[in-house]
Amino acid sequence: MTWFAWRQFRIPSWITAAALLAVAVLLAITGHNLVDEWNASGAATCHGDCGGALTTFIQRATTGAEGIAYQLTTVLLYAMPALIGIFWGAPMLARELESGTYRLAWNQSITRTRWLGTKLAVGGAASALSAGLLSWAVTSWGHHLDHARYYRILPVMFGARGIVPIGYALFAFALGVTMGMLIRRTVPAMAATLAIYVAAVASMPLWVRAHLAPAVHGTVPLDLSSIDILSIGQNSVMTVRSGVTPSNAWVLTNNTITPSGKIFTGPADPTHCGDGGPRECIQWLSTLGLREQLTYQPASHFWQLQWIETGIFVAAAALLTAFCFWFIRNRLT
Amino acid sequence: MSSPVLQAEHLSKRYGRREALSDCTLSIPPGHVVGLVGPNGAGKTTLLQLAVGLLRPTAGAISVLGGRPASGGPQLAKVGFVAQDAPTYASLSVDDHLRFGAHTNPGWNQQLAADRIAQLGLDLSQKAGKLSGGQRAQLSLTLAIAKSPELLILDEPVASLDPLARREFLQALMGFVADRRASVILSSHLVSDLERVCDFLIVLVASRVRIAGEVENLLATHYRLIGPRRDPADLPPGVDVIEASYTDRQSTLIVRSATPIHDPSFAVELITMEDLVLAYMAQATTSRQPVLETIR
Repeated sequence: MTWFAWRQFRIPSWITAAALLAVAVLLAITGHNLVDEWNASGAATCHGDCGGALTTFIQRATTGAEGIAYQLTTVLLYAMPALIGIFWGAPMLARELESGTYRLAWNQSITRTRWLGTKLAVGGAASALSAGLLSWAVTSWGHHLDHARYYRILPVMFGARGIVPIGYALFAFALGVTMGMLIRRTVPAMAATLAIYVAAVASMPLWVRAHLAPAVHGTVPLDLSSIDILSIGQNSVMTVRSGVTPSNAWVLTNNTITPSGKIFTGPADPTHCGDGGPRECIQWLSTLGLREQLTYQPASHFWQLQWIETGIFVAAAALLTAFCFWFIRNRLT
Repeated sequence: MSSPVLQAEHLSKRYGRREALSDCTLSIPPGHVVGLVGPNGAGKTTLLQLAVGLLRPTAGAISVLGGRPASGGPQLAKVGFVAQDAPTYASLSVDDHLRFGAHTNPGWNQQLAADRIAQLGLDLSQKAGKLSGGQRAQLSLTLAIAKSPELLILDEPVASLDPLARREFLQALMGFVADRRASVILSSHLVSDLERVCDFLIVLVASRVRIAGEVENLLATHYRLIGPRRDPADLPPGVDVIEASYTDRQSTLIVRSATPIHDPSFAVELITMEDLVLAYMAQATTSRQPVLETIR
């Protein structure tokens, strides 16, 4: 049965291998340039204050072919699990049910449980392997850039680095198989798979991920050298927010509070924050003893969050798989 | 060898409120070529899919060769099945199908499979999707036979075939039966397909089994009576009227009787299998006349 599962899977796996090879070539070419720029900018050899060197490196590395490759691979790492779910998962059972070939397959001398198990094992292994290879290649290709920018803890980069793509891929594959089994038609199953995958992956940074590890709370004096928001509304209600945040963190909340601990809302003093312009107003603000209250996930939580999020998606995939086994034994009759 | 090939007791299958098979009690002794005949939608496919375990009964019990259908590898190995429309993997070659069979059946007879494919003149590298309907049916039959089953079940195997392919298919089937002494159950809505090959007949109409038995016995106990018009209630006890038709002066009755009929007022004739099947079909659907296909 393993041979046959591979045989049915041959063309999709060739296409995937070819696509991965194309990405590998792109990464090899641009990766060479990235290393050159890393060395040329001085970031490779600097000690202590490397800010200038890193800024130079980031400027060079995010323009031109490397910049395009950086964005493209990020998109690709989110797209790949979706493609796996759509083109590997959804047709796996839907096509058999649609074309009636399950009646041929289920009358050989193997039980349908074993038939499903083999198909899932082959497809699941290929999904995890492909996503793992791509993530590993991109993560190692971009590690200087990720290090220079600390972006990988931020919502968009997080899902395109480390081991999370493997969890996404396994989930998308199991989801596709389940949808195909329930809907019994390939194209609607593909659409349902895509919709649920997008919803599941998008819900992580929106509602879930921030709570997977205890966030760090910090209160620092308000740094007015770089103001993000400064507005005065009706009844002199003021909003002020500093743009100075930990450079390597995913900031969840950022509130400006008064010395007594309340969120600062003004009122604005019309003598300072009137016609005199923002400079005078900021000068006045600096006398109020305002503080910046932050909650954030620091970069040091990256791997902890990666493991937990991967675990969630792998567990979801396992549940879907168990459901498939139950359903194919007890309901598809 | 004495355990029945198929035994059903009060077997029923319901889809929602629609009864596909109701209260079917049946026992098929081994060593027969069994014809399952009935109009389209009568429940033939349901019965056969219950027998191979593709479906599970809503009520009642079925056992095939003494085991629960599809209850495990050994049970699956004993039963070969060619599903309706002979499904094959369109994008896979003939050779892939044979290798699939070889990898998934412990009793696989590669010699037999290869010989049959050669005999049929099929190209091993040809994609199954490019085969004609007859070739596809033959490929499916090859897969089902090469796994060396004790029982072969075929669901409308010749329905979509042209007359020549139909004859070749049935010949291949009979060749297998002669070589292996296996039992066969095949369904058709055409009596003419079954007439030449079957020695056991089941008539299934409107989800119910109307009659089942060895063809020889059935034909020996059914008669056509033609005589002056009279009330069938006058007939002696033990004679059941299956179908009656009348003209102004004459009655034509198809009857079942365990003993020979000696009634001087009737001309007594033996009937053909087709007459018998049609009589049972007509009896089952007295309220609404079914559209029946007869011989082409």
